Amino acid sequence: MAKKIVLALVAAVFLIGGLVSCKKAESVASYKIGVVVAQTGNYAGLGSQFLEGMQLMVDNVNGAGGVNGIPLEVMIYDNKSEATEATLAAKKLIEVDQVHVLIEGTVTAIGMTIVPLANESGVPTVILSGTGLLDDQLGAWVFRPAGTEDNYIAKSLDYMSQELGISKYATLIENSGYGQGGKVYLPQRSPDYGMTIVEEQYFDPGATDLTPQLTNIKNSEAQLIFVWGSSPTAGMAVKQARELGISLPIMATPPQVMPDMLASFGESYEVEPPLLATTTKMDIWEQLPDSDRYKALCRDFVQLFMERYDHRPSLWQMLGAQYITFIEDGLKRAEITSTDVAEIRSQLRDALESTKDLQLLTSIYTMSPEDHFGQVEQTLVIVTFKDGEMVYLP
Amino acid sequence: MGFSTALQVFFSGLNLGSIYTALGLGFFVVYSVTRVLNLAQGEFVMLGGMLTVSFYTMGIPLPASIALAVVITGLVGAGFYRFIIYPARNASGATKVFLTLGFSFIIEGVALRVWGWEFRILPAFLDTPSIQLWGATIFGQTPWVIGITLLMVIGLFFYFGRTIQGKALRACANEPLGARLMGISIERMALFSFILAAGLGAVVGALITPLTMTSYSMGLPLAAKGLLAAFVGGITRAEGVILGGFIYGMIEAITAGVIPGGYHNAIAPLILVVIFLSRRRGLLVTAGKG
Repeated sequence: MAKKIVLALVAAVFLIGGLVSCKKAESVASYKIGVVVAQTGNYAGLGSQFLEGMQLMVDNVNGAGGVNGIPLEVMIYDNKSEATEATLAAKKLIEVDQVHVLIEGTVTAIGMTIVPLANESGVPTVILSGTGLLDDQLGAWVFRPAGTEDNYIAKSLDYMSQELGISKYATLIENSGYGQGGKVYLPQRSPDYGMTIVEEQYFDPGATDLTPQLTNIKNSEAQLIFVWGSSPTAGMAVKQARELGISLPIMATPPQVMPDMLASFGESYEVEPPLLATTTKMDIWEQLPDSDRYKALCRDFVQLFMERYDHRPSLWQMLGAQYITFIEDGLKRAEITSTDVAEIRSQLRDALESTKDLQLLTSIYTMSPEDHFGQVEQTLVIVTFKDGEMVYLP
Repeated sequence: MGFSTALQVFFSGLNLGSIYTALGLGFFVVYSVTRVLNLAQGEFVMLGGMLTVSFYTMGIPLPASIALAVVITGLVGAGFYRFIIYPARNASGATKVFLTLGFSFIIEGVALRVWGWEFRILPAFLDTPSIQLWGATIFGQTPWVIGITLLMVIGLFFYFGRTIQGKALRACANEPLGARLMGISIERMALFSFILAAGLGAVVGALITPLTMTSYSMGLPLAAKGLLAAFVGGITRAEGVILGGFIYGMIEAITAGVIPGGYHNAIAPLILVVIFLSRRRGLLVTAGKG
């Protein structure tokens, strides 16, 4: 009898203790972030840069004690620059690794492939996509706090018509997911700025000779060439235009002025008239007026980045860092009270959707059920090139 | 289309044609001796380009950089034959093709670790400036590509047609048993053909880098284009490779110049496939051989 009482007591103690400890330790050991990114293949360059920026910010958050005292844990899979690999990796992260949130940080064409999976499985997912063409296809679970072509189209077209007085121009667009934005939006928006496209030419990423296309442009009435692309060939296009003796102004997109492109084509970018391009404020933060709040923001990030990597960050590194901050902010506000994976995913999704006035490196973001892109201000700038430096054109 | 546009398209075709011809030569050398379709040929081109750039940026003069790149790539070619193809010498042709593809992935993976993902470029040899001609432009590097490719072709003609060793190489492909009975070591000849193809590939890599740029992943796409060109012309004859290369280059240039809306990248291969289907042994190979 006494034995039974002791047993019952012990059991009761365990039970109560268990209940109490459950109540107290209602938190996970870490917030698991699954990352699918290109480490090999055509987009290895972009993917690796994204990872650098991301890793920097993860270490920064963990160094400061994590989010609500809980560290971030990152699991990375290579998508080999292929859509099928990306889907497989995402599936594994969702089902086997049981991550709380997913990031795909390469390019539009790959990021979009995991959108259906993310929505079916109910996992908050942040993808890197630079086009507004797919805005209505993201579903409830996918976010993309990055800029789109909308930003630089408005900025470039405005500069072309207002500052340069262009009325007719030619396009030279890459045959790729990235090129689609230019192909669709440039003809659509140009009339608003009083401009017409008089010659439309295309090139393949990896092409070696664009002289036939450039000659067609040369023989047209175009007053400017808009070169739109993300592969090294887009930099090559500028070089070949100048070698053909074409002296029209050329407008370029942000990937064309990333550091590796400048290393290879910087000289051609300075041939008169020097290349014009849209890019982020980070690239020229030193030249911003002190009144611009992005000056301090970019300076701090560039310094943090250079302490670790010894070279200036690029757009993709900046986006990698920005995506972690976006998730960190969501986790902080999510009031996660469970250890159940499905519940955490759902709470985090709600928090991300209610992101409000969040200042990130490229803009301020406010999400809503209707808008999972959320960029509220346009911050890109027009630059040109002189003596190996990027020059800000206010 | 005005005269200067037509001329520019022609120059562009010449430029691309010389690149594809140069790429096709390595396939020709290995195939005509061993009947192995070496899909790793593009990796030799990539290695040649990357090694040349590496040595050149270390401050070594360009000719010496190219020579070093050729020697190292040649050694890789020798190792490839000795340790991968030779052990499988009795396997079927398909098996060997897969082995070359596997080797191609190995080289690509190693190159990514060694050089990273960044693409690299070289200045035109001797900084040759672009040449303006009747309103059209030839890139400074193009005459170099045409000239050196021509030298390689002449060298191969002379070698295969006039020297004992060259004749022995051809004999290995045409009559393996007969060649063996004549005391020719087929294995040694095959080893030599891989070294030769790797060396040629490396020269081509250095040669085209000022035009195409180079990066760890450029091997297979280049191999695909060179192979397509070589097949269309006739892979068992050097003239076939030249013809195929220039046809491919011209078609690409013409379609890029006249087909609107970015469809040219689908049209050029389509035309080649049609040509290939109508002459399956290649344009220059007559029935019974090849």
